[in-house]
Amino acid sequence: MATKELILTNVTKRFGGLVAVDDLSFNVQEGQIYGIIGPNGAGKTTVFNCITGIHPCEKGSIKWLGEEIRLLSPHQVAARGIVRTFQTIRLFGQMSVAENIMSGRHIKSSQGWWHGICPTPFSRADEHKNWDKVGELLDFFNLSEFAVNPVGSLSYGIQRRVEMARAMATEPSLMILDEPAAGLNDNETLGLIETIYKIREKGITILLIEHDMDLVMEVTEYLTVINFGKKIAEGTPGEIQAHPAVIEAYLGSDDDDDF
Amino acid sequence: MIKKLQPIAYPLFFLAMMSMPAFLDPRWLAVATTFIIFTIVALSTDIVLGKGGMFNMGQALFFGLGAYTSAILNAKFGWPLLATLPAAILIPALFGVLLAGPIVHLRGDYLLVTLIGFNIVFIQVLQNNLGGLTGGPNGIFGLDVISLPGMTDSPQLGAFYTALIALLITLLVMFNLDKSKAGRALHYLREDELAASSIGINTRVYKIFAFALGAGIAGMAGTIYANQYSAVSPEAFDFVQSVLFFSIVIVGGSSVPGIFLGVFVMFVLPEIFREFATWRYFIFGFAMIFTMILRPRGIWPATFGKIPRRLIKEGNNGN
Repeated sequence: MATKELILTNVTKRFGGLVAVDDLSFNVQEGQIYGIIGPNGAGKTTVFNCITGIHPCEKGSIKWLGEEIRLLSPHQVAARGIVRTFQTIRLFGQMSVAENIMSGRHIKSSQGWWHGICPTPFSRADEHKNWDKVGELLDFFNLSEFAVNPVGSLSYGIQRRVEMARAMATEPSLMILDEPAAGLNDNETLGLIETIYKIREKGITILLIEHDMDLVMEVTEYLTVINFGKKIAEGTPGEIQAHPAVIEAYLGSDDDDDF
Repeated sequence: MIKKLQPIAYPLFFLAMMSMPAFLDPRWLAVATTFIIFTIVALSTDIVLGKGGMFNMGQALFFGLGAYTSAILNAKFGWPLLATLPAAILIPALFGVLLAGPIVHLRGDYLLVTLIGFNIVFIQVLQNNLGGLTGGPNGIFGLDVISLPGMTDSPQLGAFYTALIALLITLLVMFNLDKSKAGRALHYLREDELAASSIGINTRVYKIFAFALGAGIAGMAGTIYANQYSAVSPEAFDFVQSVLFFSIVIVGGSSVPGIFLGVFVMFVLPEIFREFATWRYFIFGFAMIFTMILRPRGIWPATFGKIPRRLIKEGNNGN
């Protein structure tokens, strides 16, 4: 049970009369790059919101490391090593890149609230250690030159990297990326693919939603396709491309893929 | 330029403040003392409103709670005023936790109205002489004063320097807060609460922490206020005072220099233009309006990017 596996069983999420996620089950194994695809409005982001505790699901079970995490709040989920990025980038806009990444160190820092009133040599050492870690991440994501810039003033592609760096700072076991390539140009997308591989090399499992089919087919090892909240297929990218239900779901919505 | 001045600006400021009594007549010394006390309360409001982004329009409640704690313990139980200080910090802080606990999840405007409500209830309690302790509408007077060594013959001077010491303590706390996990957590949850909780920040805990810390500091200012006037009365802690502290933070901006400017503009300037009677408030209202239009984040807003120098590499296109 101690394997770092995320198991969703019969997860159902309703918003009023709308069934956003319908009886969805899938397993993400340790070290995998797992993709979830589906047409717009298929309920992909809602699945992520269920996993990360933003919108807890009513039915089913979400197990992580053998523990039921369905009803945990977002910060508790993050404390268990699951961290996410957002489709619409959510950074701390007025603050610098380094401070944004430092926010990911929050759960790894051992300072108590009282150190905010009266620092001790221990808390100063802890600060120093965490800033060093931020320095490493700035290098890892090639963000050093922007360290003091307010993130709000940076380009979309760089903001995406900052968001991933912030997620990495929490030293997660599972990283959930919600449309990481949205709004990126071709060059930036290539950089993103490289970054995803680099993150996986660190032993982090990746679960991602993406509209860019080239990217999905290249980086993911296993896929679940959902439509109207229901799973319609799962398999390796090769199997999925040949799957009749998938072809049908995407027919007429071809333009979704080109973003 | 400003950056270069920063390390010496605060010592210079304190030296200037310490020499103030030599130039001021008793009336202006009293204004200066109240200026310092209001600055402390405004700084405590800034922790909740400026850093945490929670619309706190009830800070006068905690200010008054500290003042009344000191006054009651001194007048009714005979504690020396200085000995009441820990209680005047801890009781408001405790109330900060108790009052904020059930309401911090409320969004901006709802939270604001709730806090106004708390403030009004508090004033009613004071005016109705709860348990015969609060002295009703007249308050409590004839309190002892904190005697600083060498200033026993001039209570006014003593009050001024006591306030200055309290300000120094408050500023130290503010600087410590900015360089700590807890202080940053407040900035993060103000900027984007969902993102903050998604990376593991327990936003509820830190919001309550902000209220408790703000309340504790305001409580300390309450003791200093009771010490200055050797009396407390309900109207000094009215909800209108909360509006003043709120406006100071908004107009001044969420930074220490901003708060000083805010208190100066909102409290000292009206005193200077006293001879213009009610006209001063006319000008003062327009000053507020124009500040908000021209500088929506305040006269001197918070600045970020204060990161350890070793993280700033060559070729940095920042400053």
